[in-house]
Amino acid sequence: MATSIALPSQEAQNPFAAVIRYIPGVLLLAAIGFAGKVLEQSINGYAKAHHLVIPNIEYVLWAIAIGLVIGNALTIPKVFLPGISTHEFWLKAGIVLLGARFVVADVLKLGGISIALVVLEISGSLVLMTFLGRLFNLKPKLTSLLAVGSAVCGVSAIIAAKGAIDADDEDSSFAIAAILALGAIALVAFPVVGHALHLSDNAYGMWSGLAVDNTAEATAAGTLFSDAAGKVAVLAKTTRNATIGFVVLGYALYWAGRGQAVKVKNKGAFLWNKFPKFVLGFLAISLLVSVHVFNKEQIGSLANLSRWAFLLTFAGVGLRTNFREMGKQGARPFIVGALGEILIAALTLGLVVAANTIWRL
Amino acid sequence: MSDENKVAVSATRLGLSLDVWSVITAFALALLVRIGALKHVPW
Repeated sequence: MATSIALPSQEAQNPFAAVIRYIPGVLLLAAIGFAGKVLEQSINGYAKAHHLVIPNIEYVLWAIAIGLVIGNALTIPKVFLPGISTHEFWLKAGIVLLGARFVVADVLKLGGISIALVVLEISGSLVLMTFLGRLFNLKPKLTSLLAVGSAVCGVSAIIAAKGAIDADDEDSSFAIAAILALGAIALVAFPVVGHALHLSDNAYGMWSGLAVDNTAEATAAGTLFSDAAGKVAVLAKTTRNATIGFVVLGYALYWAGRGQAVKVKNKGAFLWNKFPKFVLGFLAISLLVSVHVFNKEQIGSLANLSRWAFLLTFAGVGLRTNFREMGKQGARPFIVGALGEILIAALTLGLVVAANTIWRL
Repeated sequence: MSDENKVAVSATRLGLSLDVWSVITAFALALLVRIGALKHVPW
């Protein structure tokens, strides 16, 4: 995420106080995530003991659902807010650690296919959302934000683009609300469609990584299908994230050319500034695993650390999805976003099915 | 955008972004696993 807010001066003088303020919210994330895990295990254990056949509801969904209930039914005390905001941090740390589950050969194979599909997905999404934005008479910069958000990586891309194209706060709030609401719907819809179409773990993971916009929701949607699908979803989504700088730079140049944004002086620095550094961390860990820096047990530990980090993320996804806030944003951006997302989901599903036929994902 | 999304999403104290902090944290954990300080992380 590109947003940054200066810490209060008192905390700037006392790093310990700055860390302390995150603890209540992080503990809340951990408690919700752990409750989700315990619920899954308890229900499965009960069903097994009583010979009941009930569908397995993954800890991911429980963690998100508990977060949703708390976030929407209660007013969360302010003391928890800084820690809750760290769910993005845990997501990125989790992605870096997930690199332990990929040897470089996997990254090259699936990553190579991802790059080809991502290029097609981004091109299609940008054209589609721009067309729909014009059709529904949305403000041009709001259309740009929705296009960037749905093509690349959700909230992070919108925030990065907002600064680069000098968009209004209101426009970015609209776009973020639409992307988050649609991400919440995707969490439920994608696994259902994936199972109905009998997609393989790799094909489904690739699809959710390509089509679900926000990284946290893409990870959750993949993991809801299976652990293996979640792994591939993260890889595909990470490939998409890596393009953020290029897409945002394109929009920055476009709006600067129209005299409605600040000119980009140093394109290289701009790209590096926007490039998600956790992608490099993911690749570095994958490389270290490939050259046997870690033994098998250590790789298992790194993979489990990644799962714990994602657990905090999933709890945060539920907590920060506030339906009342989304409702205030009005229907039109949501309708444009929903139409666009349905078409993008269909487009990417077609791409994945085609890739699966050609390369046997 | 709500306050919780805005607050502290970028740790700027040392001029490092949230991204970089997440990479540093992940590598610190990986180092602890490598040197055996974190032996078996259960799931």
